[in-house]
Amino acid sequence: MAIAIVCGAAGAQYDDAARAASGLDFTGEWAPRFHEDQPERVPGPELGDYLGIPINAAARMRGVTWEASIQTLWEWQCRPHSADYIWRGPSPVRIWKDVDPVSRQVTAWHAEWLRSVDRQIYMDGRPHPPESAPHTWAGFSTGRWEGDMLTIKTTHLKEGYVRRNGLPRSDKATLTEHWMRHGDVLTAATIVYDPVYLTEPFIRTTDYELDLHQQNPPYPCEVVEEVDRPKGAVPHRIPGGDDLFVTDFAKRCGIPIEAAKGGAETMYPEYRAKLPGTPSTCVAAPR
Amino acid sequence: MRIETAGARAFPWTPKRGARRRQASVLAIFAAFAIFVPFASAQRGGQPRPAASARVVAPYDFTGYWVSVVTEDWRWRMMTPAKGDYASVPLNRAAERMADAWDPAKDEAAGEECRSYGAPAIMRVPGRLHITWQDDSTLRVDADAGTQTRILNFGAAPPQQTTSWQGRSVALWEPAGGGRRGAAPTLAGSLKVVTTGLRAGYLRKNGVPYSANTVLTEYFQGTHEDNGDAWLIVTTVVQDPEYLTGRFFTSSHFKKLHDASGWNPTRCSAR
Repeated sequence: MAIAIVCGAAGAQYDDAARAASGLDFTGEWAPRFHEDQPERVPGPELGDYLGIPINAAARMRGVTWEASIQTLWEWQCRPHSADYIWRGPSPVRIWKDVDPVSRQVTAWHAEWLRSVDRQIYMDGRPHPPESAPHTWAGFSTGRWEGDMLTIKTTHLKEGYVRRNGLPRSDKATLTEHWMRHGDVLTAATIVYDPVYLTEPFIRTTDYELDLHQQNPPYPCEVVEEVDRPKGAVPHRIPGGDDLFVTDFAKRCGIPIEAAKGGAETMYPEYRAKLPGTPSTCVAAPR
Repeated sequence: MRIETAGARAFPWTPKRGARRRQASVLAIFAAFAIFVPFASAQRGGQPRPAASARVVAPYDFTGYWVSVVTEDWRWRMMTPAKGDYASVPLNRAAERMADAWDPAKDEAAGEECRSYGAPAIMRVPGRLHITWQDDSTLRVDADAGTQTRILNFGAAPPQQTTSWQGRSVALWEPAGGGRRGAAPTLAGSLKVVTTGLRAGYLRKNGVPYSANTVLTEYFQGTHEDNGDAWLIVTTVVQDPEYLTGRFFTSSHFKKLHDASGWNPTRCSAR
């Protein structure tokens, strides 16, 4: 009986430790719910819409000189969304875990969206590599539990974008994520810290719903000649040129052009004092 | 100052009897669980002791001032959207017809300026929150936008005879699972709140409706960042059998402030 009590106590202790170490299970097929920013996330953002993003002047310059047809270049056609943007993209995600067969501990989480690479989040306590290590679309991610919330730090990201209308995110940026599961609802908070293009951390929170019928299909990408252009030509716009394409959105929607230029100030409630008291004048077209 | 008294008036869209019964059942089960968890926690290890209060066992301190950081749905939150602009919201046809008929002047004439400040919408309204413990089992959330007050009751919510903008909320610290050998659950760190008894209002300022049959479920989660920031993340799930074709999900984020600076209570505005 004494042995049973000792074993029971040890088992309970081990159980507590294992539970603390393994947190919550995020495994499953998760479908994005586009109940926020649907016009931006699914059909795509408007040119010149930098509202509510804490960009600096350098990022804004990259945005206004961006030409959408750059996506037709061979080098860009199969470029996946990066780890920070993909949560906000138009793709379902599959999440699964690696389990050590002996210790039965979760050693890594994987997340793979329709239009992304397999992200690995290491849970085994390994350090991040040195700065000189290769940067990738997924970056290098490690996770730890804070209660039932999985907190992930990601470094070593290739240059990406914070909105897919040309607003850049540098390869110096780091990403913090918080994964929160409440039954069949998954909320992911992403916080981007970019010393090159952002003046403040950029946070977004995005919701997914468990979908037991979802199956992420293969997403092969083949490079083709989309546009006949001279060799070496890179689509771009000249700074200071015709700005109609970046101001059209603001004018059409009745938004001050200064607001549409974004910046940290536009994220805060006080900014509403600088906005017209009249309603916006554009209605998202069904696309 | 709270303007909850505005919700005391009778409103024509009161829930149907069946819906009220369903809501009552949901609340009863939820309240029973809310009461049980702290009690079970107290029983862990076989040492009977008084149940600790919700305030004492709080796994995260939500109290203080928070400011909404509007990086999402900017055009629908920072400005009044155009009539008929209900992008992203899973509305049925009846709801679209209502939104298309939105008339802020009519709302003003009826004294209904607070329609877009109800519990299902208030977390999306740019502003500041002030969260305090009203007592050991009641969390109070004041919003300066529209000068609204939400009362989150751990355990059973006091009876409410009429619907109101902020409704009747029952709160629960989410458990982290039952453990082995029947051990009591530990707390996961998040706060779950279920709200019913809502007066019909707007999900967005431009007349996108929710009905009095709405059941609102929210999850409050706090973070601590390496740079010293703290974030409050509120996941909001709106279920409305009358106007929505499915559950409506949004998540809103608030940054912790050091003090009350910027706190600016304003009146509701219909425009």
